[in-house]
Amino acid sequence: MTRKMKIISGIVGLALAGAAGLAIAQTATTPLSTALADGSVGEQADGYMGFRSTPSATVRSEVDAINIKRRAAYTQLAQQRGVTIKEVAAAVGCETLAKRVAVGRAYQLPDSVWRVRKAGEEIALPAYCVT
Amino acid sequence: MIQSILTRRAEDATRSGMNKMLSLLMAASVAACGGCVRVQAPDKPIEINLNVNIRQEVIVTLKKDAEDLVTSNPDLFPK
Repeated sequence: MTRKMKIISGIVGLALAGAAGLAIAQTATTPLSTALADGSVGEQADGYMGFRSTPSATVRSEVDAINIKRRAAYTQLAQQRGVTIKEVAAAVGCETLAKRVAVGRAYQLPDSVWRVRKAGEEIALPAYCVT
Repeated sequence: MIQSILTRRAEDATRSGMNKMLSLLMAASVAACGGCVRVQAPDKPIEINLNVNIRQEVIVTLKKDAEDLVTSNPDLFPK
């Protein structure tokens, strides 16, 4: 019984340490997280990240790398589901616009206009998005 | 003098009337044929509508996949 308790507490301790590590990793500021926070980089309705203003070389290469990885993931999913890459990307775009754009962050709708989400404002998702 | 002018006018009127009738008939027959052909003509707008419907349906079926993709790949979707 006591041994079992020790094992459980050990597992819980490990999980807590892991969560703390994750939290630190997320709160650490990187050039990209700064660019996201100040609204110079944001999510687009087409499922990729984009630049609201001209980025630094570091941020540009980081965003480009992410977009390439996203496209690879979209391609894989599109093949699995028998749909187009664009459709997968659009579905993800709905998701990121709905859940990943915090107040003060930039986003781009299909009209190609960059907007910054204001406090208490809901993003007008494209008509094809499922709510 | 007056009579001859009238006759000429009458003749002219009849001829032009016949011509009008003829052209009307021709126009009607052409219009009828045109109507038959036009039924097949508008293909493209229908196609676009179909595409929109399919797309929306696909987005619906992909919703769960999209959610999973975003939540399970934090490096691809930084906050």
